[in-house]
Amino acid sequence: MNRREFLQCTALLISGASASQLGFSLSQEQEVYLAAAANYNGGDVDYFTGAQRKIIAAMAEVIIPRTDTPGAIDAGVPRYIELMAADWMNDQEREIFQAGLEDMKTRIPGQYGKPFDQLEQETQLGIMEEMEEAASDSPWYDFVNTQRQFISDAPFICQVKELTVWGFFTSEVGAKQVLRFNPMPGRFDGNFPLARDESTWAGHIL
Amino acid sequence: MSDDTIYDFDAIVVGSGISGGWAAKELTEKGLKVLVLERGRPLQHGSGYLGEHAPDWKLPFQGKKPRQLYQDEYPMANKVYAFSEANRHFWMNEKENPYVVDDKDPFMWIRANVEGGRSLLWGRQTYRWSEQDFRANAEDGHGIPWPVEYRDIAPWYSHVEKFIGVNGKAEGLPQLPDSEFQKPMPWFALEETIQQRLKKKAPDITLTNGRVAVLTEDLPGRAACHYCGPCHRGCSTGSYFSSQSSTLPAARATGNLTLKTNSLVERLEYNPVTGRISRVHAIDTVSGEHLTYSARIFFLCASTVGSTQLLMNSVSEQFPAGLANSSGVLGHYLMDHTLGISGTGVFLDNMDSYYFGNRPTGLYIPRFRNLEGQDEDADFLRGYGFQTFTLRMDWQVGMNAKGFGADLKDDLRKPGPWIFVLSGFTECLPRESNRMYLSDKVDRYGMPQVAFDMQWSENEVKLRDDAAKQADRILKAAGAALIIGDEEGMSLPGEGIHEMGTARMGDDPAQSVLNKYNQAHDVPNLFVTDGSFMTSSSCVNPSLTYMAFTARACDHAVKQMAEGYI
Repeated sequence: MNRREFLQCTALLISGASASQLGFSLSQEQEVYLAAAANYNGGDVDYFTGAQRKIIAAMAEVIIPRTDTPGAIDAGVPRYIELMAADWMNDQEREIFQAGLEDMKTRIPGQYGKPFDQLEQETQLGIMEEMEEAASDSPWYDFVNTQRQFISDAPFICQVKELTVWGFFTSEVGAKQVLRFNPMPGRFDGNFPLARDESTWAGHIL
Repeated sequence: MSDDTIYDFDAIVVGSGISGGWAAKELTEKGLKVLVLERGRPLQHGSGYLGEHAPDWKLPFQGKKPRQLYQDEYPMANKVYAFSEANRHFWMNEKENPYVVDDKDPFMWIRANVEGGRSLLWGRQTYRWSEQDFRANAEDGHGIPWPVEYRDIAPWYSHVEKFIGVNGKAEGLPQLPDSEFQKPMPWFALEETIQQRLKKKAPDITLTNGRVAVLTEDLPGRAACHYCGPCHRGCSTGSYFSSQSSTLPAARATGNLTLKTNSLVERLEYNPVTGRISRVHAIDTVSGEHLTYSARIFFLCASTVGSTQLLMNSVSEQFPAGLANSSGVLGHYLMDHTLGISGTGVFLDNMDSYYFGNRPTGLYIPRFRNLEGQDEDADFLRGYGFQTFTLRMDWQVGMNAKGFGADLKDDLRKPGPWIFVLSGFTECLPRESNRMYLSDKVDRYGMPQVAFDMQWSENEVKLRDDAAKQADRILKAAGAALIIGDEEGMSLPGEGIHEMGTARMGDDPAQSVLNKYNQAHDVPNLFVTDGSFMTSSSCVNPSLTYMAFTARACDHAVKQMAEGYI
């Protein structure tokens, strides 16, 4: 079987494998072309409650809202966060995440009379700015903390921001509609004009 | 005694990576029936590159590392930039195939476990050694003199370069002889800006193209680079040199190649009557079956550590301390290049200039220290070169910025300033105390596990310190708006993935394992042509030199066979 045939009949799509184990990923037993796999953020997951799901979606949209281009919800970020919380976080991170989510669920209606996701966007923004202010000493905000690290004791707000920003710019919608995507450039030009408002290329995560 | 005139094959090559692929090609093209034994799994060119061209949104976790898995099963490999879910199936599972790691002074042994070996994963940087490099040991007394001069190997460099395809720019520098070049890849505008400034303010510095085994012009069966980016996922157009794209197809085309994967060679059998190796003993790693194969000549190309491990495990009455080890130097004089970010410059120039396509190399600053004798201000021997890379900051750098909403989104989506990084690769002196050896632990095949005893010497530390100082000077001359110095500390021994030495060549059989043709002094039908033959390390990336010596050794072996000597 050649590569093209393989691509055309990928019965063993990677996302069809169990997504709940840490070992879930490419291996020689799963002879699967990642380029033909389903999008990661379309995977099945049932980790949050309905209320939690709404809160996370609202928070993600505050971080990266729909403007004249798609926002976090359009790009599938809420599902990405749920998948990552279920399958990728370690116990310590999951504990912080769950506690943060529980705090949002119980504290906000008490203070504001409504669940977080039903508040005006201005109010939501104010709440998240306060959370960021309270977390601002975390090394998560250090300049050198780039994508290779995930700080396990980072506060909840940082976790949500990291997964939102990452989940957005590595999503298909984020890469194609907000950044620029060209998988097969065919040439290299090191002096290519950049207009004032143009986005970066969507890169490859190694 | 078996009848040693009837062989299964003319030649057996152990390993199918950069060196083994070359041995297979050269020997089969000279008419020999060759068996290549590869311990790793089969991996087909093209169809084996499962992560090629996969966009981020198809990757597990959209590219976030599965950390627990990596820590448990790939604790060393996952530190390498090229390791990811897009190519994890190329790499050795370190939990299943352990070596002894010293907690205090760990050695990073980075391995592939597939057909083609690390030729799939290498950085593709391709540099000739200079006359000075081959004379360094004789001149400063470290290590033993090389038995080979530049002029001996120069034609073999040409032979290899024409076949693998190297792009770069001729500079006429004695310390970095030019290769047979395909047309060079273009530069970023910022790199042109930096070049102009260096010409005025640091004229001793040459900034040239990284010389890489990536095609800018088609070769038979291989297409010029399409600039997609991550070469180390495999390249189905064969645009970068690997065994899969280049040497193995050439060897297969002769009809003389047999390649067996999942075949771990555990020892070589020495025949005391003939004074030759008679056969190899291998384990089929799938069935567990033990197999033997005989041949007239044997080429070890199992990587520096792998080949020496095999020699050490091949003891006999005649060679109780390891095959071909009458000198006692086997395992010693282990070297690696130190590497690390010597300096990073942030630039605000050429902000309205961007790029199209992903160039699979940076630029290179050839060695400029101790070129004509010892520099007056240098308290170290030998030198280093800088690999550079240029990138435009994007959301990955600013992802932990404060703030929310449309402004954050807009800031993150647009390019930030330029970054120009100097990464120093320093020469490592050959020292007897730096060594590998067999421990008393065994692996799941019953093979003794390898252990390492290696530390950087004061010279390597001083070279690195000087590299940081000079990087600062260069970045200032280049006009960086902000300079971030070397904050990383020394790389671990092995981290350069340029491990070499341990079966060095030399004219004196009492001080070396191999002669100048990579042939064992003690056993004339045994050749070792991977990095283990290296007598010193230079500061340039070594793969091209392994290939050239391999091709030369094959030529010599076949001539000796024709003369009836082996």
